Amino acid sequence: MNIGLFLSEGDGEISKTVDVKSLAALYGEVMPVSVFDNLQSAASHRTIFREVEDRKLDAVVLAGESPLFYKKTRNGERLLSLLNTAGINPNRLAIANIREQVSLPHRSAPAEATKKAKVLIDVAIEKVLLSKPVDLIEVSPRRAVTVIGTTAAGLFAAQRLLERNFQVDFLDREEIRALNGFRNQIQPTLAAIKNHPKATFHASKITDFYGYAGNYRINLENGKKLRAGGIIVAIGDDLKLTEELYPFLRLERNEKGLFKTLSAETAVTETVQQGIFLIPETPTISAASSLADSAAMSLDSLLSQNAIRHELFVSEVDESVCGGCGTCIKTCMFHAAEIDPVRKLASTNIKRCVGCGNCVSACPTGARDQISGSTAYYLSAIRILATYKPPSGPRLLYVICEGCGYPSLDFAGNNGIEYPTGVMPLSVRCAGRLDTQFILEAFKQGFSGVVICKCKDDHCLNIVGNTDLDRRANLFRAVLSSRGISPDRLRIFGVSDCDGASCVTSAVDFMKYLQNMGRA
Amino acid sequence: MAKLKVATGLLQGCFGCHMALLDLHEDLLPMLVALDIVRSPINDVKEVPEVDLGILDGAVCNTENEALAKEFRKKSKKILALGTCATLGGINGLRNLYDLDTVLKRSYVKNESTVEGMIPKSPVIPRLLPHVKALHQVIEVDYALPGCPPTPAMIATALMDIISGREMKIASKNLCHECTRTHEQMYIPRREFVTDSVTSIMELDEINEEKCFLEQGVLCMGPATREGCEARCVKGNTPCRGCMGPGPDALEDVVGVGYRYSLPVSIYPHREEK
Repeated sequence: MNIGLFLSEGDGEISKTVDVKSLAALYGEVMPVSVFDNLQSAASHRTIFREVEDRKLDAVVLAGESPLFYKKTRNGERLLSLLNTAGINPNRLAIANIREQVSLPHRSAPAEATKKAKVLIDVAIEKVLLSKPVDLIEVSPRRAVTVIGTTAAGLFAAQRLLERNFQVDFLDREEIRALNGFRNQIQPTLAAIKNHPKATFHASKITDFYGYAGNYRINLENGKKLRAGGIIVAIGDDLKLTEELYPFLRLERNEKGLFKTLSAETAVTETVQQGIFLIPETPTISAASSLADSAAMSLDSLLSQNAIRHELFVSEVDESVCGGCGTCIKTCMFHAAEIDPVRKLASTNIKRCVGCGNCVSACPTGARDQISGSTAYYLSAIRILATYKPPSGPRLLYVICEGCGYPSLDFAGNNGIEYPTGVMPLSVRCAGRLDTQFILEAFKQGFSGVVICKCKDDHCLNIVGNTDLDRRANLFRAVLSSRGISPDRLRIFGVSDCDGASCVTSAVDFMKYLQNMGRA
Repeated sequence: MAKLKVATGLLQGCFGCHMALLDLHEDLLPMLVALDIVRSPINDVKEVPEVDLGILDGAVCNTENEALAKEFRKKSKKILALGTCATLGGINGLRNLYDLDTVLKRSYVKNESTVEGMIPKSPVIPRLLPHVKALHQVIEVDYALPGCPPTPAMIATALMDIISGREMKIASKNLCHECTRTHEQMYIPRREFVTDSVTSIMELDEINEEKCFLEQGVLCMGPATREGCEARCVKGNTPCRGCMGPGPDALEDVVGVGYRYSLPVSIYPHREEK
């Protein structure tokens, strides 16, 4: 495999702590390496694109800013789509977060930070080496939108979409919600929507929801089946409806328990789900109307594409090992695991699988594996992370779920919270993917403790990933106790709102505890 | 064609694997055209001659087992670990949940049938090792055949593979694959079942002979156990206990607790000693 490494100095922010030049020289002996001031500018993107083409790279490792930067900003997104155009499979791209996870939290230990950065880059390289290319499918978007919530904002957005010739289905408990005294302002919109041939109202509940951006299938309690290219959620501060929708839509939630958008600054209506847009609760009608325009505009530009590309980050089955026991069916929250009762063989419904990996942890034979993070990769990553030896203090395997754990650790870095270099981060798709085997492997490799930082309570994007982890961890603790081993070296933290730094302070306390335990 | 010279030996086991070999009955006869059993506990030869294949049954529990295993390794071109004790440690391995002192006291001193007991100290009696080990943890093993005991058919197939120089193949799927009970609830995507409590088979008023044990709320190790045993237990209306051990791709046995037969080969193979 021809892997190229692109290092970012983070406009001096990373290179202030991490010796980026020496890392470049080191990796330069074995692979093409380029160093950039940052990975955000259009100039950097052009150079990266050219390098990939000229050197015929088939895998890329970016070492610099957090992957969240690529997910949540337009610049970041552009680089990912450029790499895609250059023929880099999404699974052949790995990101080593040496800014938020290394340079920012370890400013006062530059030599150690450089060593740790190298280990994180090694893990990223291992990831591309051990990942199979992921299959891509293309969906022709349907020009139909389901608007959930007949609030003023929902009606505004619907009006825009009807003007652009979309089919609009409304879904709510009642036809028009109490409009908080906005009835006058909303009158013209109501008039435009009422009796519009392309607008239909459904007073019902969702019973099943699956599909991709561009083509969602929504089954309702009243038996109607809707299909939509995109969804607009405009339910205001209706907490009850949020609870009801959450297992289907799987959107992030804020501290009040309401759905939240990707970012309050640059992605005001986008959510973690590509085809679902959210108009958050707003106090004024003008904010509601501009957010509605934003959501309608974003959805229009998404659904006006000829095809929307989807990466099938699903669970796969090794047919030589699967005996068809049905454990995966019982575990999967999304009804994505299926079984052929005659051949006694499991399979995955790619329209439903969200790739959380809960079935992989559950599979008793090891027949299931995750395309985006194979068991072989995670075990290997733990071994690589164990090669870093901090000058003093204990070493922690710090497992962070993509939902809440990862952003929390980033938050700590971004807010100047320093913590010991012995905290070794390992990102997993979901806490439910965390096989107890990984914990054992970490202890085997000499980590003094394992921390799992996951979503709290009902904040798990995969609905049951965090609680299934707890269930497994409790059994695991019981097993350890039966062997006379104290289960104290495993700690699990739930992060409530996905952007607090409490998990870091808890981890530091844990390190102190481990240190004292060592002395006793 | 020269006959394959074979020696068999018994380590710490119940002799069941040797019995399974004998259970081949007349099917053993055609095999004797190709192999010559020159030493076995049955023909009572004490020395281990030079052989092509050494077959060992049982786990390594004491110094005598260890010495015999090493002697076999020295004298045999290839070694077959026969049965679950030899491949995974087996039921013997459960001793690893206690330290040696506790085990010896329980056997010889604090025993319901013993008055003023004492731990034997004679130098001619083999000493127990601190922990029970599977054969491959003591000597290099070329072939491994799990099963408690392996079925005669499995033994015959394995021996034929070895005789003809083929790679020895054993089943790779889990027991559910060859289980003949009906699965309905297990195939319904409803999570409630996952967290339901588990009952012991003794607690059931009636055991349905056709239905999956898990669907009756009884813990059956089938999903986590390698097939190949012909599902003898489930056919006998008893849930699988996992004697075949995990399949080839299953992650390393999580502390061995799921499989009561494989504690010695788990990552943490014994109890922490105080």
